[in-house]
Amino acid sequence: MPEWRRQQIERESRLEAGRRFSDGKVFAAKDTTALLEAVIRPGDRVCLEGDNQKQADHLATALAGADGSRLHDLHIVQSGLVLSAHLDLFTKGIASKLDFSYSGPQGAAIARALYAGRIQLGAIHTYIELFARYFVDLTPQIALIAAVSGDREGNLYTGPNTEDTPTIVEATHFKSGIVIAQVNKLADRVPRVDIPGDRIDFVVEAPTPFYVEPLFTRDPAQITDTQILMAMLAIKGIYAEYGIQRLNHGIGYGTAAIELLLPTFGESLGLKGKVATHWALNPHPTLIPAIESGWVKQIHCFGSEVGMDDYIRARPDVYFTGADGSLRSNRAFCQTAGLYACDLFIGSTLQIDLAANSSTVTPERIPGFGGAPNMGSDAHGRRHPSNAWLKAGREATEAHPGMVRGRKLVVQLLETFGDKMVPAFVEELASVEFARRMKLELVPVMIYGDDVTHIVTEEGIANLLLCRTAEEREQAIRGVAGFTSVGRARDRKMVESLRSRGVIRRPEDLDIDPLDANRHLLAARSIKDLVKWSGGLYRPPGKFRNW
Amino acid sequence: MKAPLTKYRTGSWYEATGRERVAGLLDTGSFTEFIGPEKREVSPHLARFDLPEAFDDGIIIGRGTIKGREVLLAAQEGRFMGGTFGEVHGAKLTGLLRYARGHQDAPRVVMLLLDTGGVRLQEANAGELAVAEIIRAILDARIAGVAVIALVGGRAGCFGGGGIIAGCCSRIVISEQGRISVSGPEVIETNMGVEEFDSRDRPLVWRTTGGKTRRLLGGADAYAEDNIASFREAAINLLDRIPAFDLDTMAQEQARLARRLEKFGRCQDTPEIWQAMGIAEPDRIADLPDEDFDRIAHAQKEANHDAR
Repeated sequence: MPEWRRQQIERESRLEAGRRFSDGKVFAAKDTTALLEAVIRPGDRVCLEGDNQKQADHLATALAGADGSRLHDLHIVQSGLVLSAHLDLFTKGIASKLDFSYSGPQGAAIARALYAGRIQLGAIHTYIELFARYFVDLTPQIALIAAVSGDREGNLYTGPNTEDTPTIVEATHFKSGIVIAQVNKLADRVPRVDIPGDRIDFVVEAPTPFYVEPLFTRDPAQITDTQILMAMLAIKGIYAEYGIQRLNHGIGYGTAAIELLLPTFGESLGLKGKVATHWALNPHPTLIPAIESGWVKQIHCFGSEVGMDDYIRARPDVYFTGADGSLRSNRAFCQTAGLYACDLFIGSTLQIDLAANSSTVTPERIPGFGGAPNMGSDAHGRRHPSNAWLKAGREATEAHPGMVRGRKLVVQLLETFGDKMVPAFVEELASVEFARRMKLELVPVMIYGDDVTHIVTEEGIANLLLCRTAEEREQAIRGVAGFTSVGRARDRKMVESLRSRGVIRRPEDLDIDPLDANRHLLAARSIKDLVKWSGGLYRPPGKFRNW
Repeated sequence: MKAPLTKYRTGSWYEATGRERVAGLLDTGSFTEFIGPEKREVSPHLARFDLPEAFDDGIIIGRGTIKGREVLLAAQEGRFMGGTFGEVHGAKLTGLLRYARGHQDAPRVVMLLLDTGGVRLQEANAGELAVAEIIRAILDARIAGVAVIALVGGRAGCFGGGGIIAGCCSRIVISEQGRISVSGPEVIETNMGVEEFDSRDRPLVWRTTGGKTRRLLGGADAYAEDNIASFREAAINLLDRIPAFDLDTMAQEQARLARRLEKFGRCQDTPEIWQAMGIAEPDRIADLPDEDFDRIAHAQKEANHDAR
């Protein structure tokens, strides 16, 4: 007689073990480690909520404090491995396997732990790729999540930073897993129900509010004239050219410059209302001037951003907000929006090779992928047309008449030399060496070259859609690689011929005078300016204040 | 193409280059530069460190008019080596100040557009000597009746020897972005520990060294908005409010400093000082718009004490 309810029976026994420490669903912060030790079993797949923004930090610290003889060999399946407590799980042997997406600040520590053999790496995913696996072969038995407030029934208010929570809870709860939530505050009634209480098994009021990284705040004071030139090239040579209305931006200073040039340079080109109207984007403070100037119709967000809550509340026509007035974000939906409903992704990278493959991984640092590979890829499942998508598709297939399909515009925006004058253009990505050393089957690549349509540097724009051969492609890349060794090895004649065909466009070809590329053009030149633009509604965290 | 873009220029002092500040501060077209970049008086030291030189060594000196009045002027370029005092840089400024004192036909006003991190580390000895010479030259000029007006609101702030030089001037104009101090925040933290001063606590750094604090305490005499026109207006207004540089002035200033120490010596942070001064909502000072702040500053006795 087969047993069909093993998971539910298992779940009941775990709940019973946990209830020794709880009053109903609620337990005290001092008992967190004990409750986790009671509920979690060795070898469990555990999702400790954390991504590039909010962190279930109390639960992470409590789990890292567990007795290694009781809890060991956990398989961590989570978006972000960014807290030192996350790494402690592996150094203490509580966890041994890892499937993740993003590590940002812990990139170097993860590299060390990998070399030391303390982490068995499954794979580095994109966000929705990992979410997808939550429902197929990486379903968590335990989810440890974070919310702003919760009631005794387990109803949760995730506030503006809803992010991954609904996805994690969906996958865990409905497959007989256990969901434990830390909340900033236990309340009689939550402002809005983001997660219904019957999906939550235990709730604890954390001693301190969960940590949120202000990852999407770029101080306009740091933007350089070179980045402004590149932003001008992108606006005039790509946004205007293709009529980009629906888009996603990366988090670098180059894209921040674009956001701050829309109300000035963009306006001078008469582009208001014609480009950059609909966004899949976190609440970037640098987009405030464009919003206030009437450029932006709508923004859906992956998460929120520290200090932006009151501004968002006051602009519900632009943002998605709940009945309580605050932002509703959702990483899974926004990533899907970026994949299927945006015509352009633009972001920067650490390294790009001669086939336009890019990566941020080096043998010393594994910052993961996050959402960029997903945003920065052509969705082959897309079927709805748009002018930008069709124009790009026509450019790519002109030489091969027949069935024309569209193309998403995937733009790499990078200075030829990056931090500390390290060349961004390379013959071989450092991640290739990393893969060799780690004996990985798959080289970590942020964005595959065949998805890249344009490369923008201070030297100009390379339109890879118009390249007809691998050789043309390589020369188009060399042709905007400036004084890097890759750039200096260009075939001058071929680069000039590509330029005459419009494959490469220099600033002067677009009638852009590099002398105009000046910080004076930024709609805001400091965080304080952004606060002024917002009418005092944007409240930046202290580390960004210059007053 | 070019014409429409100029309308987005804001005239921010903080963002401007030294030359843009000079051009906007003085009457249009009135500036004559001394030892300009065409003379290529570059640093004799930087090449040894394989560092780039500037043809003006990061300082512009010369003469011009402001609302028709003749002035001498020096502007540091904060973007070149942080506006630091090197050998040539210092010598140009010293020479300008000595000219002001020594020549009957020289203008009786010197404007110092300070934007500096202090002494240039690569030429430390020459730089330290330069700062000492500049201080002496300022005091000599003031004794001779020359008004020396400092304008502070640049990216590099006014630190190290620059902070002492500003303190020796007849008058100081500052904007919110301006910072005057001797040891920079990181230096204090390194020497005294993070408990003494957390250089990464940016609001703390700004409410300790920033323009609003300097103005309210009387460490600066006029507050300008962050644009060149506002600095120009403030400088013009100060031209007729230059204190005599004599023993009597010094004695009064000493007395005011002693009183300040007595009143605020135990305060741990600037909002406590504002509270003791009777300012309503002291915690809001940092967030006040320029015009509201200027009104409060004008009403404060302490702020108009011109004691540094």
